[in-house]
Amino acid sequence: MLLKTSLRSFFAHKGRMALSLVAVVLSVAFVSGTLVFSNTATSTFDTLFASTASDVSVGPAEPELGGKDTRAKTRTVPVDSVRKVAAVPGVKTAIGQVTVENATLADPATLKKVGPTTGAPTLVGNWVDSPRSPVEITSGHVPQGPDQVVLDADTAKKAKLGLGGKLRVIVNDNRDFTIVGIAAFKTTNPGAALAFLDTATAQSVLLGGPAYTSVEVYGDGSRSDEQLKSDALAGLGAGFEAKTAAEQKADGQKSVGSFLDFMKYAMLGFAGISLLVGGFLIINTFSMLVAQRTREIGLLRAVGGSRGQVNRSVLVEALLLGLAGSTIGIAAGLGLAVGLIQLMNAIGMHLDASDLKIGADVFVAGYAVGVVITVLAALVPALRASRIAPIAALRDHGTPVEARSNTVRAIIGLVLTAGGGGLLVLAAGAEKAATGGRLLGLGVLLTLVGFVVLGPLLATTVVRVLGALLPTLFGPSGRLAQRNAMRNPRRTGATAAALMIGLALVIGASVFTSSVIKSTNNQIDSSVGADYIVSAGPNGVSPEIVAAVRQTQGVDHTTEQKYLEAYFTAPDGKTEKNGISAVTARFTEDFRLPVKEGSPDSLKQGALAIGEDYAKDHGLKVGDPIKVDYGNGRVQSLPVGVVMTKGNQLFDGNTFASLDTVSKAVPAADQPVDAILFAKAAAGADVARTLTGLEDALKQYPQASVRDQAGYKDLVQEQVNTLLYMIYGLLGLAIVVAVLGVVNTLALSVVERTREIGLLRAIGLSRRQLRRMIRLESVVIALFGAVLGTALGLAWGITGQQVLRTQGLETLAVPTTTILLTLGASVVIGLLAALVPAFRAGRMNVLAAIATD
Amino acid sequence: MTTAAAAVYDPQLPGGAPAVAASARQVTKSYGAGETRVTALDAVDVDIQRGRFTAIMGPSGSGKSTLMHCLAGLDTVTEGRIWIGETEITGLKDKQLTRLRRDKIGFIFQAFNLLPTLNALENITLPMDIAGRKPDQAWLDRVVETVGLSDRLRHRPTQLSGGQQQRVAVARALAARPEIIFGDEPTGNLDSRSGAEVLSFLRRSVDELGQTIVMVTHDPVAAGYADRVLFLADGVMVDEMHAPTADSVLERMRRFDGKRTS
Repeated sequence: MLLKTSLRSFFAHKGRMALSLVAVVLSVAFVSGTLVFSNTATSTFDTLFASTASDVSVGPAEPELGGKDTRAKTRTVPVDSVRKVAAVPGVKTAIGQVTVENATLADPATLKKVGPTTGAPTLVGNWVDSPRSPVEITSGHVPQGPDQVVLDADTAKKAKLGLGGKLRVIVNDNRDFTIVGIAAFKTTNPGAALAFLDTATAQSVLLGGPAYTSVEVYGDGSRSDEQLKSDALAGLGAGFEAKTAAEQKADGQKSVGSFLDFMKYAMLGFAGISLLVGGFLIINTFSMLVAQRTREIGLLRAVGGSRGQVNRSVLVEALLLGLAGSTIGIAAGLGLAVGLIQLMNAIGMHLDASDLKIGADVFVAGYAVGVVITVLAALVPALRASRIAPIAALRDHGTPVEARSNTVRAIIGLVLTAGGGGLLVLAAGAEKAATGGRLLGLGVLLTLVGFVVLGPLLATTVVRVLGALLPTLFGPSGRLAQRNAMRNPRRTGATAAALMIGLALVIGASVFTSSVIKSTNNQIDSSVGADYIVSAGPNGVSPEIVAAVRQTQGVDHTTEQKYLEAYFTAPDGKTEKNGISAVTARFTEDFRLPVKEGSPDSLKQGALAIGEDYAKDHGLKVGDPIKVDYGNGRVQSLPVGVVMTKGNQLFDGNTFASLDTVSKAVPAADQPVDAILFAKAAAGADVARTLTGLEDALKQYPQASVRDQAGYKDLVQEQVNTLLYMIYGLLGLAIVVAVLGVVNTLALSVVERTREIGLLRAIGLSRRQLRRMIRLESVVIALFGAVLGTALGLAWGITGQQVLRTQGLETLAVPTTTILLTLGASVVIGLLAALVPAFRAGRMNVLAAIATD
Repeated sequence: MTTAAAAVYDPQLPGGAPAVAASARQVTKSYGAGETRVTALDAVDVDIQRGRFTAIMGPSGSGKSTLMHCLAGLDTVTEGRIWIGETEITGLKDKQLTRLRRDKIGFIFQAFNLLPTLNALENITLPMDIAGRKPDQAWLDRVVETVGLSDRLRHRPTQLSGGQQQRVAVARALAARPEIIFGDEPTGNLDSRSGAEVLSFLRRSVDELGQTIVMVTHDPVAAGYADRVLFLADGVMVDEMHAPTADSVLERMRRFDGKRTS
């Protein structure tokens, strides 16, 4: 019986339910889409790694220092280790393999780089007949001889290269090859570019002599991988390291994992927003349904329905909504996952959309999120419904009076907001960024909840102010709209809350990102004196490139920077691994070090420039000695010459020493190539023309790129842009859900005010004036939400910047344009949301409207 | 009055001033089609005299409300023509009808006459606000004073009694000086004392302010305040009575009921 009532009511309010449904669908779609996507991606890479990993891979042992420095020379194993490994019992085949990551591929005709632009590696190696090769030749033949190369099909296609085409391989020198074969991935291509030479050529071109980078071992099945690994290592002696298939797989997953994790968290962020905002929409919908049905509920209670029954009837409706929403949401999530996979394909990570992995977890999470959120959100209105006294409900027209709860609400809201505001102030003043961060998080949460609770009260005041101009600007429609927006503050507050949350997050984040950009730009302006920055990817800047830059007309001098790793031992006896940047003599002219103590000139006398944090941790001051151990017995003791103030991202975490100083311990032959090269234009030289000159000079080095200061700033901007696009994505989503919320509220208001509308039309309000009244009310609600959201977002963003002021975020930038656009957008949101309700109100029959009960 | 069936209607009197505020000729209103066709008004002719208080009476289902709605431009007719003043309203578009209601007609409904968000004064001036006209302050003061609401102008409708709310509605109808005011059972929801208050006020606005009022009612006491009562039955105008009293109207209604039941 009760179920029947619920079902009837559910279908009687299809339109309003549909709006809430969209909110549930969105949330569930994001959650389940994320799960399907990461399941699929994980399984794809599992298959890839499982099908290509050898049973045991033997390589050179990782040295303690410089292990992560890809600019260091590729480490190898001797040729005869293949023979030694092959002799280990249980080994069927042992294959010497050459694979390097530090080569650049280019098209010699255009001098354009060939290969992935997304950060995926370019792997160049020898062609071997491995039982588990990831690729197979689809046209042409395997490379034979010193000028033949095989390229993978995806890269060839992207670079428009084919059989007979030329490919340049750049390691230290340029070598041109002819493409004699095209190889296709047998499984999913993870996005890397692959090129193969014959073994002898690979050894000489890539490694500079006969050696291998690893020995791949395939067992005959008589022994476990673990057994093979330990036997092989025992047979080889020290200086080797081996990984079983399982270990290789784990390594591989770790490397793609971080990128997939980013995608996953971004998606879950979207899911969170839609859940939060959607929750408000659902609460609103059910509050309205209950308000509309006050009489019905009163009757139900009067004829003997218990509170529990009324509660249940509302909750059953919520359950139905949650189930329907989750089901559609999971289906939509599949679509979203396919879309994401296509997106990944477009940016070079190849996943197979036809092989979606939908685990049980997708359904469990999808239904849990959809149903639980919906039922929880409906609980508040349900409880409120059952508290209605039967007779009051029958008499009443369905607008509950809320005088007492207002005081309670005001107190709770004020306490929360004040507490949150206090936390934000504390956070802004906190010494340590970590403490500040925790306070900020808590403050954000409290102010958000406080604003949501205060919303209805603020609605009365803020809407009065916002609406004050309406009567003057829009005459009677304006006045009616203003009054209407204020007549049910709780509803206005709840409707605006959805928009407020979205905009607060967006504005907070955009204050943060613009502060990042501005701070970094300021730091570049204030501390970089060099005009040009030359980098060359993972290969480093080779001496040829340095020479080419030096010879370019208009270049006065260059500053080279090499990057080494070393163990630092402070006088307090503590040792830690540190990076050290070795710079040439004119570094101090091209960069203004943020000096806290000491003089930059001391670098020339063999001193170190260390960071403030390191100095503080070890109680160091200028003149104190630090023992620097570069490994292989190369040790020197260097005095502290400069302590650098923290807060400048260009220098934070870095230690500087002069290259001459470092050379005393590490001979030039063992030094890596330059990590980065700076150039200064000669006095009087045309800076722009010199840039063109540099670009021309570097054309034959496709791996190198040159930027002037403006270009360098663009680079920073580009890195922040990824975050910005996500923020805009969130904004879009928040807007969609907010529009639904406003539509919902307006639609209900129009229904509730049918008689009023009839009266207004009877005494001469034109359709146009009526529609304008509804549109203005909608705009006022949207603007109200936007104003609150902007206020919260600004408070959050500014606090965030203050928290990180010592971490390089020293300059606050308020993105005025974004804020103005957001406020403008909220007007558009209001107008959009009012479209249908206004149209409906305009079409109402005057007589029928007046006669409505 | 039922004899004048002229197709062309001339509202001008020899004296110059129009003596008729509204009139209907051969007005028919029916719903549905074929077998299920229901005729609410059947070729009704009526003239509403200017500066007079006219009551339309009849049992429920007689078509009295439909007649008023059609006269007021709130409803469309199936056949026939209707004039308000010199303007023929049959065939007007919604936009023109809205403007006509705004500028020439005042309304008093049985209930829910006022916007809860506006105070009494704002409700009274609402039609002029909508039209973008400034109220005539002297007239407004006089109306407000006549209705006896001077001290309640800042009150919201929820702070007023039912009778006071109807008086505000009457003041609103009067304030814009419409050519004609239509009342749809304006005292239907009031107790007899408040009803008498509102009715005597309507009477005064006709006598003292020269207003034209048409009121639909089923209450003989209310009809007793009018100058003239029109009786409607089954969509046809069956009788009229000048200078009625509550008793004479009641008497007429009884006969009427008797005739119907016999």
